[in-house]
Parts: sequence; C-alpha cells; structure tokens
Amino acid sequence: MLVVGALARLSVSTALAYRADVAFDLGSGVLKALGRVAPLFAIFGAAEVVGGWTFDGAMAVMGLFLVVMGIQGAFVEPNLGAAVEGIRSGTLDLWLMLPVDAQLLVSARRVAPGALVDLPVGVAMVAMSAVAMGSGVGDVLAATWLLACGTAALYGVWWLAICTSFVFVRVDNLRFLIWSIADGGRWPSDVFHPAARVLLTWVVPILVATSWPAAALAGDWTLGTLGAGGVVAVLFLGGSRWVWLRSLASYTSAGG
Amino acid sequence: MNRFARALPDLARVAFAGVVTYRAEMAIWILATTLPLVMLAVWDAVVAEGPVAGFDGSGVARYFFATLIVRQLTGVWLLWELSQEIRSGSLSIKLLRPQNPLLYHALQMLLALPLRLVVLAPILVVFAALRPELVWWASPAQWGLFLVTTALAWWITFGVQALIGMVSFWADKADGLFGVWFTFWMLASGYMIPFAFLPEVARDALFWLPFRATLALPIEVWTGTLPVADAGPDVAVQLVWSLGLALAVAAMWRRGLARYGAFGA
Repeated sequence: MLVVGALARLSVSTALAYRADVAFDLGSGVLKALGRVAPLFAIFGAAEVVGGWTFDGAMAVMGLFLVVMGIQGAFVEPNLGAAVEGIRSGTLDLWLMLPVDAQLLVSARRVAPGALVDLPVGVAMVAMSAVAMGSGVGDVLAATWLLACGTAALYGVWWLAICTSFVFVRVDNLRFLIWSIADGGRWPSDVFHPAARVLLTWVVPILVATSWPAAALAGDWTLGTLGAGGVVAVLFLGGSRWVWLRSLASYTSAGG
Repeated sequence: MNRFARALPDLARVAFAGVVTYRAEMAIWILATTLPLVMLAVWDAVVAEGPVAGFDGSGVARYFFATLIVRQLTGVWLLWELSQEIRSGSLSIKLLRPQNPLLYHALQMLLALPLRLVVLAPILVVFAALRPELVWWASPAQWGLFLVTTALAWWITFGVQALIGMVSFWADKADGLFGVWFTFWMLASGYMIPFAFLPEVARDALFWLPFRATLALPIEVWTGTLPVADAGPDVAVQLVWSLGLALAVAAMWRRGLARYGAFGA
C-alpha cells in the first residue's frame, strides 16, 4: 500500500513536472514569436515603405520566416543533433544495416513539439497579409510552391552540414552559423546588399522560402521565378544526397 | 587579498589557455553575430527616404558599427558554463580552489576580449571600406565615459547571467529563462531597435530597466547621440543596477552553495 502510494505520488509529480515544462516551453515560445514580430512595428512606425516593401509584404516575409523556422525547429533540427551524435558515437552503423534508407531514417527520428508554436503564429500572419494584399488563388499557389522549394533546399543545407561531421568532430558550431545567417531571411530581400542576397539565395537559400513567396503573394511572380525556385531546391536536395552517398562510400564505420 | 593578488597571474594564465584552446569555436561564435549588420541593412532602408528621428544613413551606420563592437566587448557566456557546472557537479572541483569560481570565469571572459577584437577586425575593416562616412572620432570625454559605461555594461551582463545560471541550483530551467530574458533584451537594449526609433512611452519605461545599461548607453555615448553632459541620469541608473546585481549575486551564491552542499555533491 505504501509503495502504491509512493508510486502514485511520484507519477503525479512527474506529470506535473512535465506539464510545467510544457507550459513553460509554450509560454516562452509564444513570447519569442512575438519578440520576433515586434521590430516590424517599430520599423514601419518610422517609414511607410522599406526597400520597396509595404508593411503587409514585410509581414508576409516575417510570417513565412516563422513557418520555416517552426518546420526546421520541430522536424529537422532535433534530427540533425541525433544524426551528428550517431555518426560520432557509431550508432550510424546500426542504422545503415537496417533495410530502410538511412537518410530517411535519420531525418525522421525525432520531433520537437515546442518549436511548433512558431507555425500557427506564422500562418496567421501570412494569411492576414495575404488578405490585406488581395492575393489571388494563383498567387497563393505560386507562394506555396516557392515555400516548398525553399524549405526543401534548406533541408538540403542542413543535411550537407551533417555530412561534414564525417570529417569534423564538432559541427554544432557550423549549424549555429547557418542558423544565424538564415536569420537574415526574416526581412524583405531588397534591404540587403546584392552580395548578401546572393549568399541568402545560393548558400543558405532562406530567401527562396521567405521573400520570394511573399512577393508572389503580392502578385509579383513569373514562371521564371517558379522555375528558379525549383532549380534551387533540386540543386540543394540533389547535392546533399550526392554528398551523403559519397560520404557513406568512404565511411569506414566506427571501428575503422 | 594578498593571497588573491599572488594567485592572479597564474589564474590568468590558466584562464587564457582555456580561451586559446577554443579559439576556432570562438571565432565562429563571433562571426555568427551578424544581427547588427542585418539590422543596419533594415534601418538603412528605413532612412533611405529621409532622416528619421535625427538619424540619416551615416547615423544608422555608426550606430550599428558601434553595436557590433560593444556587443563583442560585453560578450559573456557565463550562463552556459555555470549551469552546466552546477548540473554536472563539476562545480565541486572548482570549489576546492581558494578562489571563487565566478572570479575564474570573469577572468576568462575578460581575457577573451583581445581575441574577440582580433576576429572582429577584418569585418570592421571591410565595413569601414564600404561605408567610409561612419568613421568618426569621439572626444576624450566621450572615450572616457564610453569605457566606464562599457565596463559597467559588461558587469551587468555578467551579473544577470550569473543570477539566471544559479537558478540551476534549484531548477533545470536556466536555459529557458535566459531565452525569455534574451527575447526582451533584443528588443529593449537597443540591439535591434535604436532607442531614438522607439515610441516615447517605451523609452520612458525602459529608462528604469537594466536592458539599456547593457548596450545602448555605451553606444550612444560613443557615437555622440547622447552628449556626455546629459548622460548623468542614465549612468546613475546603470550604477544602481550594477550595485544591486552585485548584492543579488553574492546573496544567491551563498544560498545556492548551501543548497548545492545539501544535495550530497
């Protein structure tokens, strides 16, 4: 009877601890999302048009950025950590022996629900600005396509970062560097120096997932833009796949 | 005190060796501090149509140029070190030394400053070449007050991280708490939004909070948007926070250690 009572107390307190944890994560997640949006109001309080972008356009960029960060943070980033750890500790050997593609396996191991807070906030912002800008069905479809391309290309970048852990031990810092560069994607592309724009399109292709779809929502898209988005996605996805296979080919397992 | 003075050179040598060991990591962390450059691009686009709140293109450039430097000068990573040491128990070994572990961390973070500036130098050179109008020269009084306010800003940053890090004595939430602090800090310290661009209400409220003292104050003194003669109230607030944090850190450290000992560690 004593044991049952103790166990019950323990499980309740564990659940409570987790509930407090979840509440804290959700609360701070909402705060962080709001903190990301707040500068937008300060900036458009000072000027009507910034770099040729209206408030609605910039709001769409910010919303798309939150969507991308939510997806990356919840589905990609935790798996990256696991994959790097797996390569370093040798667990990768086990994954490689399973009859499933290792890249798929490693990419879909973990989910961090806390990061998902960004997603609804971002979607709401994008929806609001799309209504304000009077986007048509075609515009929305074009934006969705570009967002998909950009997200896929970013996944490719993270995956390339993982592949470097076959060679280097510490890639946490590289991931951190990519995150901090990607952070520029929350602002409309036209505020940046052309060189920075190239960096944010062809090295860390965040603009393809934020500024490009936002422009598309405002009706500013052509078949050329849609094609370019596809090219970026194919390049990064294909490139990362190729590097992954090459790395595996020269991988001598934990023992070798 | 005498014993401490004798130990200082050796402590400093050990601390500096620790900094040098992780030089590559530190270089990446410094290079990743690109936000002032991004904010420069954004605010530059804002003032492109015409000056806002007395800021034109070169004013904005100077502000964020100074931000980049002050951010490095006040760079502190105590929170992660401290909460890691407390949680893993490696603090116990440090406690065996006759000096307070916080002192060792403070030394290490101060000795990293030259390295930080060396890594930052190429960025500053490129920046100055792209925007020559941002090269300005402050008066001796500005320099003097800039150095004092920067030192206090460093101390406040250190103190806040010490306080939040010491939460690890009681709960496993130090990182999350710091995330919340950092979110407010980004908005309220002048890091992303110069105070001149904030609404009057926000500026008045933030005057009393510690955020401004950690970054905006030295920047404004150095770039001259806050004349030295008018800086008195700001510096007074900064001093009060510095002192208050010193007392709070000392008190919490004592209570935290008592708790840590009771823990069986």
